[in-house]
Amino acid sequence: MSRFLNFDTLSLHAGQVVDPEFGARAAPIYQTTSYVFPDTDTASSIFNLERGGHAYTRITNPTVGVLEQRIASLEGGSAAVCTSSGMAATFCAITAILGQGDHIVASTQMYGGNISLMKNTLPRFGITTTFFDPTDPDACRAAMQDNTKLIYGELIGNPGLDILDLEAIAGIGAEHHVPVMIDATFNTPYLCRCFDYGANMTVHSVTKWMGGHGVAIGGVVVDGGNFDWGATDKYPTITGPYAPFSGINLWEEFGPSAFATRIRAEAMRDIGPSMSPMNAFLLLQGIETLSLRMDRHMANTQELLDYLSNHEQVSWVNHPSLPSHSSHELAKKYLPKGAGSIVSFGVKGGRAAGKAFIEACELASHLANVGDAKTLIIHPATTTHSRIDAEALEAAGITEDMIRLSVGLEDVADIKADFDTGFRAAKRVAAS
Amino acid sequence: MGFRTRQIHAGVKPDPETGSILTPIYQSTTYVQPSVDEYLSKGFTYSRSGNPTVKALENKLADLEGGVDCACFGTGMSAVLATMLAFLEAGKHAIVSDVAYGGTYRLSTKILSRFGIDYTFADTSDPDNVAASVRDNTAMILTETPANPTMKCSDIAAISEIAKKAGAVHAVDNTFLTPYFQRPFELGADISIHSTTKYMDGHNATVGGAVISNSQEHADAVRFIQNSTGTIMSPQVAWLTLQGCKTLSVRMDAQSASAMAIAEFLEAHPKVRQVAYPGLESFAQHELSKRQASGFGAMLWFEVEGGVAAGKKLMDNIELWTLAENLGSVESLITHPVTMTHADVEPEERARVGIIDGLVRASVGLEDTEDLIQALADALEAV
Amino acid sequence: MYIEVNGKQVFATTGGKPFDCARPVVVFLHGAGGDHTVWNLQSRFFAFRGYSVLAPDLPGHTNSAGPPLASIEAMADWLNDVLEALDCRNVSFVGHSMGCLVGLELGSHDPARLRSLSLIASGLATPVNDALLGAAKNNPDAAISMMTSWGFGAAGHYSRGPVPGNAMIAAGQMVMRGNTPDALHADLSACNNYANGAEAALLVKPHVQVIVADNDRMAPKKATDKLIAQLPNPEVAVIADCGHMVPQEAPNRCRKLLRDFIFKHNPATQGS
Repeated sequence: MSRFLNFDTLSLHAGQVVDPEFGARAAPIYQTTSYVFPDTDTASSIFNLERGGHAYTRITNPTVGVLEQRIASLEGGSAAVCTSSGMAATFCAITAILGQGDHIVASTQMYGGNISLMKNTLPRFGITTTFFDPTDPDACRAAMQDNTKLIYGELIGNPGLDILDLEAIAGIGAEHHVPVMIDATFNTPYLCRCFDYGANMTVHSVTKWMGGHGVAIGGVVVDGGNFDWGATDKYPTITGPYAPFSGINLWEEFGPSAFATRIRAEAMRDIGPSMSPMNAFLLLQGIETLSLRMDRHMANTQELLDYLSNHEQVSWVNHPSLPSHSSHELAKKYLPKGAGSIVSFGVKGGRAAGKAFIEACELASHLANVGDAKTLIIHPATTTHSRIDAEALEAAGITEDMIRLSVGLEDVADIKADFDTGFRAAKRVAAS
Repeated sequence: MGFRTRQIHAGVKPDPETGSILTPIYQSTTYVQPSVDEYLSKGFTYSRSGNPTVKALENKLADLEGGVDCACFGTGMSAVLATMLAFLEAGKHAIVSDVAYGGTYRLSTKILSRFGIDYTFADTSDPDNVAASVRDNTAMILTETPANPTMKCSDIAAISEIAKKAGAVHAVDNTFLTPYFQRPFELGADISIHSTTKYMDGHNATVGGAVISNSQEHADAVRFIQNSTGTIMSPQVAWLTLQGCKTLSVRMDAQSASAMAIAEFLEAHPKVRQVAYPGLESFAQHELSKRQASGFGAMLWFEVEGGVAAGKKLMDNIELWTLAENLGSVESLITHPVTMTHADVEPEERARVGIIDGLVRASVGLEDTEDLIQALADALEAV
Repeated sequence: MYIEVNGKQVFATTGGKPFDCARPVVVFLHGAGGDHTVWNLQSRFFAFRGYSVLAPDLPGHTNSAGPPLASIEAMADWLNDVLEALDCRNVSFVGHSMGCLVGLELGSHDPARLRSLSLIASGLATPVNDALLGAAKNNPDAAISMMTSWGFGAAGHYSRGPVPGNAMIAAGQMVMRGNTPDALHADLSACNNYANGAEAALLVKPHVQVIVADNDRMAPKKATDKLIAQLPNPEVAVIADCGHMVPQEAPNRCRKLLRDFIFKHNPATQGS
């Protein structure tokens, strides 16, 4: 081929070899635990990482493999490993390179699960985290320690929606020879390919926009292949011998996909947070329409921003594509197709009015997920971020009147009509 | 190879590409052709006409039943429909067992009769009744043995003889006993029909049907209907049924043994007026059952002293047994045919064929026999 | 493993087993802009089957010290020095693309230690057009894009490789970007200037295997046919539906061909 395939084509075709036996156009669902080897030599080759192939579905599965290769291709990475959830992806990605005594520098504006993992869970295993304000790259630099092994953030912060200055952060990573891992769930590769700006690996909850229909939980780690693990001795899990595979040196043998191979060889084998073949199949269906859905998500978001900005009962609206947002310029740079379909806004009348708004909406579903095809609303202070103390809540920019909106694909006139109902209810509460 | 080996291995082989030990779920509508000249060289074009996962199940069922080919359908009823469409047409006549499943009765009298097909509902428990019903235009005889829910049996060999003389196809609904216990082709039948929803799946997970043919000519006729009407089985259902089939004999053995014990318990119980189970010596067609099948199955019915009211009371009070419409699953189920499965059959017709108002149908599952008997004992106590 | 050759540090992967010159050696040499990781689905296999494996980075590539070498002949001399330094006898050489040209030189000059030669995706010469040469000098990223988009066949472009999760184009680009900035231009110039292929091919003594990919746009059939015609009794195999990057695009078929050929002509006596 004389040129590279474009995004929409890859989202339909990448990773899938048309089933050689029957020609089935859709990827078959390999709902199987294990695989019959043609001979012992092939078996030992697969177990010894001499060749690709399948031995046991905890480690690899052909249907999951299609999804992995499709995502790696869309993201422009060297390899991807799918996991049973987005949190499993984050956990496996971090523990593949960090251990006791190591340190993470992470954004304050992240999904509550990510914050809880770093604040509560990882410290029990000797991995500590210093959080930095994502709007201030100098804060990131200041937080770097001798034992810092990873910089972690979300491109579109949650829930403040501040955009991480990825190139600046990647520059700090390069200075310290520390990889930058981005949770790219909110942007997907359609809105921003983080490796183009210097990120070294991404993780996604594919449950969200990638899958798009709220039907399957899943995660993925994508290896950017662009971190020179061999330039330092800080990462022995990648550059040192790994006993279970005859002392293999993953960096030496796998180069750009050494990090992903470590996750495959260790996390999938020893921990086993594997994605089910059925979920992979369902998620593949979603990815086929990723760009179509994202365009509609962005168009609906823009319409609702206009609507909310002009509504008398809205005290404030927060979205990076609004010129008033402090990240507006960064959004234009990193997310020219749109800065995601998450919007936050305040309902006049505070906590009670916000509650009344959510309860009166009928079309918009009140639930904790984001990135569904359906419009979702939630009150973060009492739900997604309820396990976080007041100080961290403030640091994450969450107020009591805040409503987080995940804009869906419905006819936007119907969403507005639904919100009208919500605002009428909020007004009655505010007046009483 | 023996049945237990075949129920696991027949029809399936490891995926040649990946080695996947289980047949993948080919959830695909269409199949890429290598070239115009090689159209259909890999066997599949469009999933209505054929699907590799469904084909694996069809191959397995054909093997287990000892037939030439099997075609799978979306439900047991669409399997019955396909059989009738394959062998009947306007002006033709069919003899159907008068105790056939209520759905078969409804399909015949309410739908296919509108297209000019004539039916005689005969008491097929006596072959003479079948012979007497044969007309010049009789093209098919459909029996169900044992029948649902009366457990009345039909003599497959004798009726096959009659069918052969009449130039008619003898189709046997073999759902209740499955090929593990009863093989209609060895007794001369032409077609075996299954609701795979029942013992083939065995886990209350799917609805599906199958028609197995004993000759290529019949198989072609059924396949033509399968593709033309499109009443097909989905790949997901086929895959789940493939898994269910692997334990068919084990479940049938265990559930039948339980059914025998339960039938004996009920027969000895003072509050039970009558019990119908082919394994009981008191069963009118016990000898026929022993002759044409190697097991008695796990279906039975009984009547509680006190008629309908008592029967209803038992079903409302019973624990462990579930009041639900299916049969053949690992969960034990209990139903009241008059208000449930056979509600569409006219009361006079019900009475004529022996579906008495107090009849309680039991589908014995895989739970511990003692627990099932204890639950029945407790419920009878309360009656 | 790092060794010193002519005062410079040279890196070679040994496929996960210690190097032992007493065993038969399989040397894998990458093409222009590549490195040892091109071979990871072949090298480890041989290392665990009784062979000592040597997949070096050419000078100025990934882990080997620069500067990059300016001609194919210089690369052949350098490789000979590497083999000499490690006292390698009974060598099976496997080259990809530019590596094959080095193999032809080696095979025509120093046949004593060579038991077999496997040449993957190459002709007798590798002319490089001015656009690519210019890009390699002035805009390496553009040159890398040109080479990977032309080099990889469908398996690369659609990420359809047999290693679950892997997308080979991005990996290939990362390797090329990791080389010293002038390595790609030096490699392509060396290819473009190499004119001794036809003469060298006639002099090749050891058993030769030629592996051709039928969708290879960098070493098309016209070019590979010339190589085949010039070599003495080559074993020729064609890999269907495959682009230029054979070791990654069709690793299993490639490995099987290498295995059958090398096991026959340079058998490993010791087990793994």
